Amino acid sequence: MELAEAPISLKQAEAKTTSGRNQLIRDTLRRLFRNRSAVIGMVIISLLLLTAVFAPLLATHDPLLSMIGVPGETPPVPRKAPCIPLFGCEEPTHLMGLDLNGRDVFSRIVFGARVSLFVGFVSVIFAGTTGVFIGLVAGYAGGWADNLIMRFMDVLLAFPSLLLAITIVTIRGPGLQNALLAIGIVSIPVYARLTRASVLAVKELEFVTAARAMGASHTRILFGQIFPNTLTPLIVQATLGIGTAVIEAAALSFLGLGAQPPTPEWGQILAESRNYVFTSPHMVFFPGIAITITVLGFNLLGDGLRDALDPRLRGSN
Amino acid sequence: MSRFIFNRLLSAIPVLIGILVVTFVLGRLIPGDPCRGILGERATQAACDAFFERNGLNEPIPVQFMIYMRNVAQGDLGDSFRYGRSVVDLLAERMPTTIELTFVALIFAVAIGVPMGIISAYRHNSAVDVGAMIGANIGVSMPVFWLGLMLAYLFSVGLKGTIFALPPSGRLTAGASPEPFFMVWKLVQEPAEAGNFLIFLSRFYLLNSVLTLNLAGFWDALRHLILPAVTVGTIPLAIIARMTRSSLLEVLNQDYVRTARAKGLRERNVIVRHAVRNALLPVVTIIGLNFGFLVSGAVLTETIFGFTGIGKTLYDGITARDYTLVQGVTLVTAIAFVIINLLVDLIYGFLDPRIRLT
Repeated sequence: MELAEAPISLKQAEAKTTSGRNQLIRDTLRRLFRNRSAVIGMVIISLLLLTAVFAPLLATHDPLLSMIGVPGETPPVPRKAPCIPLFGCEEPTHLMGLDLNGRDVFSRIVFGARVSLFVGFVSVIFAGTTGVFIGLVAGYAGGWADNLIMRFMDVLLAFPSLLLAITIVTIRGPGLQNALLAIGIVSIPVYARLTRASVLAVKELEFVTAARAMGASHTRILFGQIFPNTLTPLIVQATLGIGTAVIEAAALSFLGLGAQPPTPEWGQILAESRNYVFTSPHMVFFPGIAITITVLGFNLLGDGLRDALDPRLRGSN
Repeated sequence: MSRFIFNRLLSAIPVLIGILVVTFVLGRLIPGDPCRGILGERATQAACDAFFERNGLNEPIPVQFMIYMRNVAQGDLGDSFRYGRSVVDLLAERMPTTIELTFVALIFAVAIGVPMGIISAYRHNSAVDVGAMIGANIGVSMPVFWLGLMLAYLFSVGLKGTIFALPPSGRLTAGASPEPFFMVWKLVQEPAEAGNFLIFLSRFYLLNSVLTLNLAGFWDALRHLILPAVTVGTIPLAIIARMTRSSLLEVLNQDYVRTARAKGLRERNVIVRHAVRNALLPVVTIIGLNFGFLVSGAVLTETIFGFTGIGKTLYDGITARDYTLVQGVTLVTAIAFVIINLLVDLIYGFLDPRIRLT
């Protein structure tokens, strides 16, 4: 029997995979852009990123500066209602009103985008890298190591995430960094489970056996062959996870355990304002809308990615 | 079937032990000196030494863990520093509030979410479908505490004076103290004589007012529950609606549905008897997973609406650095979570033979 082609090196084999992968990426992106809600999600996220990057330019006032005592501001300065020029507003314009310390809410929300996006991305990166690593090792190793690691993940998952995050922050003390750590730790099991499931599915396939036969080391197989095939659900989960992280950070700040005053984090703004919701609802409304729109954007994009990456639809183009 | 049950129970045990370990470790890690916390800032060193000795805090950690496990097995979760009462007492007093809240929230979520999902799937891609899914997406993206505050504002200030006005806080109108059912039924002579279980049951205000046929009381308790229950239940509602819809869409594409239609069955029969039943299976699992959302929603919602339930107790314990309380509440919640998921697994196995026979 003759070989169809001459034997190729491991590098050449990997190069073939890469070119096929690029075609896949192009297909996926094409399907993604056809999905209306995914596009809306991407628009929202882009606007958010722009807001965060250009915050100093967009904000009308200093987010930490109180308007009390500033000449030109007419009473009531704390908790003043929103003042929109279109509706015939004469005084200095505070698009979203003032909070209970007399600070401009609009500027605080604009700067809050920075904090929230920071928390979202960093916690997902932390949880993602740790979780993926754990999942790869557990799935590839199998046996008792796999069992032990996954049992521990099960225990972490047994706690409602907010409760566990609260307990972790209580131990380490309130603050944005500790909130980040807590949210990261709480999210690790999800990524570990996803990765492990993918590893188990891919581990026994022929190309892995072929790579091993060609003399690839375990590390090279794990990170070069298996890991790229676990990416699909991970990308979806990471996108959705950013939204979840933003909400959890806001929840922790709302309970006084996350960002501390005067940091303009959206949950923190909500926490300050909550006793005044009946008299000055604008202080509560705007930060909440900001959180909702942000999380909605990531959810829409995540759902769109999930549909675009769905292997059952592949080839239907 | 019994083998399936046995396997499930067996796999839950290591998780429970793990929960005990994690809760113990977390409890010990909370900073703050327990001696100063209980005996006061000016306690002498001798008094503190005696305190440590008495509570076994001088023993090595593994021994402390054994003591902890033994105590938990005997139902002793320690005493709360802040309240000066046993944690178990506090939990028994406050659990009915949270259980009632989560129960009503779950009923709300399922009663509206499932039909919404079914209608969305049946009228796939219509205006109803798109609208419902947009609503569900927004519902999942909203922070629970914000929704609670906005609803509270809307219904107590915005709609003030109308029939739709709802009270923003408390479980009952201020000053109302409903008669516990065991008094009305003359089960005991004095309130103090009633056993713990009866007192526990009487704290479920809805149940209590039904048992005493107190319509005004029932309505009062229900009115106070509506806003918090809607707040807590909205996210699970959105999740259930989406899950029902995608599950039913998959089922409607199956061959057996086509067969049922080809047989000439009435459309309603096809949908309800054949399609929906099978579509609801994954939804059952989701309900179990949603318990986590219900609990964290309860923690946040109770602080907003002034319900003294487990969530608020946990929050108070955290702010007061009361680690026995935090430990106890976390432990109970985690165990409840495991038990509920176990029950959901068993129910799922009961409903779907494919699960229990693999």
